[in-house]
Amino acid sequence: MKKFLKKLLSINSKKQIPSNAKPTKAEEIEMKKISFETVKDEIKRIFGNTADLKADDILVGKSEAIIFYLDTVINTDFLKDMLGQTLENPVEQDIRITSEDELRAFGKKAFGVSGYKLINTISEMIETILEGRIAVVIKGVPAALTISFINSEGRTVSEPTTQTVVRGPKDAFVEDISTNINLIRKRIKNHNLQFEKFKVGNETRTSVYVGSVKGVVNDKILEEVQKRIKDINISAIFESANIEELIQDKSATVFPLALNTERPDSVCSALLDGKIAIITDGTPFILLVPAVLTDFFNSSEDNYQNYFMSSFIRMIRYLSFMIGLLMPSAYVGVLTFHPELLPTTLLLSVIAQREGVPFPAVIEVFIMEITFEILREAGVRMPRAVGQTVSIVGALVIGQAAAEAGIISNIMVIIVAITAIANFVFPNYSFANASRLIRFVLIIVASILGLYGVLLVLIFMVAHLSSLRSFGVPYLAPVAPFIVEDQKDVFIRTPIWFQNKRPAYLSPSNTDKQKPQGSPSPPKQTKGGSGS
Amino acid sequence: MKLYGKLIISVLIVFLLSGCWDRKELSEIKLVSGMAVDRGDDGKYKVTVEALNAAELNSRTSGGYAPALVETIEGETLSEISHQFSQYYAQYLVFSHMKLLVIGEDVARTGMIDFIDYLERNRELRDDFKILIAKDSKASDVLKVTNLYRKSSSLKLSTQLENMFQDWGGDPDMRINDFINDITLEGKEAILNAVVVKGDKKVGATVENMNNVTPEAIVLVDSLGIFDKKKLVGFLPLEDTRVYLWITNKFKNTTLTVQCGEDEYSAVRIIHSSTDVQTKMDGVTPEFNINIKAEGYIEGTQCYKALDKIETFKKYEDLVSKDASEKIKSTVEKLQKEYELDIFGFGEIMRRQHNAQFEKIKNDWNQYFSEAKVNVDFEFILRRTGIRSDSFLDEVEK
Repeated sequence: MKKFLKKLLSINSKKQIPSNAKPTKAEEIEMKKISFETVKDEIKRIFGNTADLKADDILVGKSEAIIFYLDTVINTDFLKDMLGQTLENPVEQDIRITSEDELRAFGKKAFGVSGYKLINTISEMIETILEGRIAVVIKGVPAALTISFINSEGRTVSEPTTQTVVRGPKDAFVEDISTNINLIRKRIKNHNLQFEKFKVGNETRTSVYVGSVKGVVNDKILEEVQKRIKDINISAIFESANIEELIQDKSATVFPLALNTERPDSVCSALLDGKIAIITDGTPFILLVPAVLTDFFNSSEDNYQNYFMSSFIRMIRYLSFMIGLLMPSAYVGVLTFHPELLPTTLLLSVIAQREGVPFPAVIEVFIMEITFEILREAGVRMPRAVGQTVSIVGALVIGQAAAEAGIISNIMVIIVAITAIANFVFPNYSFANASRLIRFVLIIVASILGLYGVLLVLIFMVAHLSSLRSFGVPYLAPVAPFIVEDQKDVFIRTPIWFQNKRPAYLSPSNTDKQKPQGSPSPPKQTKGGSGS
Repeated sequence: MKLYGKLIISVLIVFLLSGCWDRKELSEIKLVSGMAVDRGDDGKYKVTVEALNAAELNSRTSGGYAPALVETIEGETLSEISHQFSQYYAQYLVFSHMKLLVIGEDVARTGMIDFIDYLERNRELRDDFKILIAKDSKASDVLKVTNLYRKSSSLKLSTQLENMFQDWGGDPDMRINDFINDITLEGKEAILNAVVVKGDKKVGATVENMNNVTPEAIVLVDSLGIFDKKKLVGFLPLEDTRVYLWITNKFKNTTLTVQCGEDEYSAVRIIHSSTDVQTKMDGVTPEFNINIKAEGYIEGTQCYKALDKIETFKKYEDLVSKDASEKIKSTVEKLQKEYELDIFGFGEIMRRQHNAQFEKIKNDWNQYFSEAKVNVDFEFILRRTGIRSDSFLDEVEK
């Protein structure tokens, strides 16, 4: 049965591709098996009739040569200089290159040790050309010289746009992967910080680096990460979210199982705690795994300000998570099922405001919450130029006018506003989205079962949360399972001289972060004055 | 498949065993703030409820109409009557915010308080509403007096009584559980605060009542009603309410006036007080030793004594102790001689302290109480003299 289906599918897929658009294939042909005259035709055959492939005849010293490159990928200004100075007019003007060794020697002299690379097969040559190198094939030499001329057009390092801080480093990752790794390396000057390269995506061949600090990271988790990335079998990777989706432990969940950040300092502190960074080419968002729930409540700024203040702000974040999650459903539940829970004066005021509102509380909440979601989506997607219009329409027309027209009560506007604002407190956007969805489930259940239903959903949610794993690490760690030592940086942020251990739930190879030490204090004065 | 079976069963249990389907839209309910029970003409009871008109209680939405709707229905049981109010009201009545239960004097005097069972048993009603007796009028009249503070009579009264209790000690703070306790305890009689409606009741039931600086009608805290078992037998003046709180250790704050010279008085604010009652049984006469320790400060004086001297402090302390002891003694004596009712729960204390002896005499406890010896040991400590030491009146004299 299965075989039959497969057969059917394969026939179909074959039929779908018209013969003239058949993709060409770079074969593992060795350079020596192909003559100098046919190289050009072979490369052109493989690339087809793409407009940006250039294959020019040049002279290197006295030798005939062909140069291949994609003029859209390389920096053509550099190429012009190089052609004139280094290749066509080398230092030894009458040099004649006849063997691979001579080519290597020439490359070393002309471009330095790291500037060139020798390749021996056509498929390698295709790959290097795609990466933004130029390939020089010299007559009679069974190898090609490739030189990097990549045109690294892209954003420069600028301030983070999604995870801003008041105090702290103001640089953020960019799309270019080598810049990103550079930003990390600049902060951790340690040879144990190692990056392993993977090529992911059958069509895009996107570079993915897995970074970790040897001696800190748990090797089993690292192996698992590498295995899962190797096992990815997908045509295209454009963002780290694609990778996140393909390597997470469980896909049927609204909670993010990998932390994404665009802040180099966050990545560095996570690496030193024993986490693993997955850096994807073409996106400023770097994945940190394993991720636990409490990670999403911590901002890197927590470590840059007074720890009393940081602890307080963390409490505010947990509180606002509950507000954002529960406020609308509590409103519906209390008003329709348990009015006795409110103080009499407040209840009277709510009743007075709701007098004349034509909808039941749950419909009212739904109208406003959906309206808010629409406004929010519009705010993200709209062209910048019409931004003001949307905010005026949103705030004035929908908020104020709806309340004045008596379609919704004033208190509802307050509820929606506090919910919306509480949802923006999270240092991490992806987690806020999770609570957005659950909020709607809670509203529906609250309208049927009241606060009893709200509690039921919360119980289901906690059960679900405790079933989640991020690379084998329980999602609710270090709270469930409860790890006493790890509580120093969960709900409250203790002073950094007090946090001497790495998080135990990551089971790092080396648990000691630093030697235990006391609080910094002024030197003790010896009796009889200082000096002698 | 097994897993799904279990899942379906647990979901069904969760939904079917919950049993809370009292869904009511807010726009379809009316809050009841007070209930009054009078003796019925045809039925056993006449029940009146004050249902709040929420829009009128909010200054933004208020239109100058009546703050509440008060309607009366007659019947045999409160529970049935409470469900019959759709005769009058469009909305569904919600009793969970009830603040006040007013019992008419005629009901209380005849001891028809069996309806309390409904109030205690009902799951919707809270147990924190205050119980009052309407003296000299129908209970329903108490609910029909408008006033400026929160407009509704029962909302006003509940705040008023709380302040009276906290500030001077004029309310025994009786909630339904306290009242049930008092009725059922051997060796304690129940009491309830009594209010009267002063002025023109007809005008009191209109919005116009709120237009006067001194309203035509107003509800005021009047006295303490005392019960013999289930029946109301009499009223004591407010002064005795304070003594009641003092002896039962429910006292919060009060101000006591003491005479310190010829036609000269000083006022002392008492802010902390704790009471300990010891009982003794010598032969046939019980003996109660009431030890009260209190602290306070001088709030005002007309005696211009040197308030920076320790002797003056001592003098004041003695004066207050003597005065308060006398007040307490006289109240207890009044109950011993006039009513022969132990509202203070001395018997209950004796039951705990000398159980065997109390068990023998518990059936005639009130008689033993009336013959008991009462000693009051009042220890007052003057802490401060306000924000002055010597009075300016001293300077005037010179």
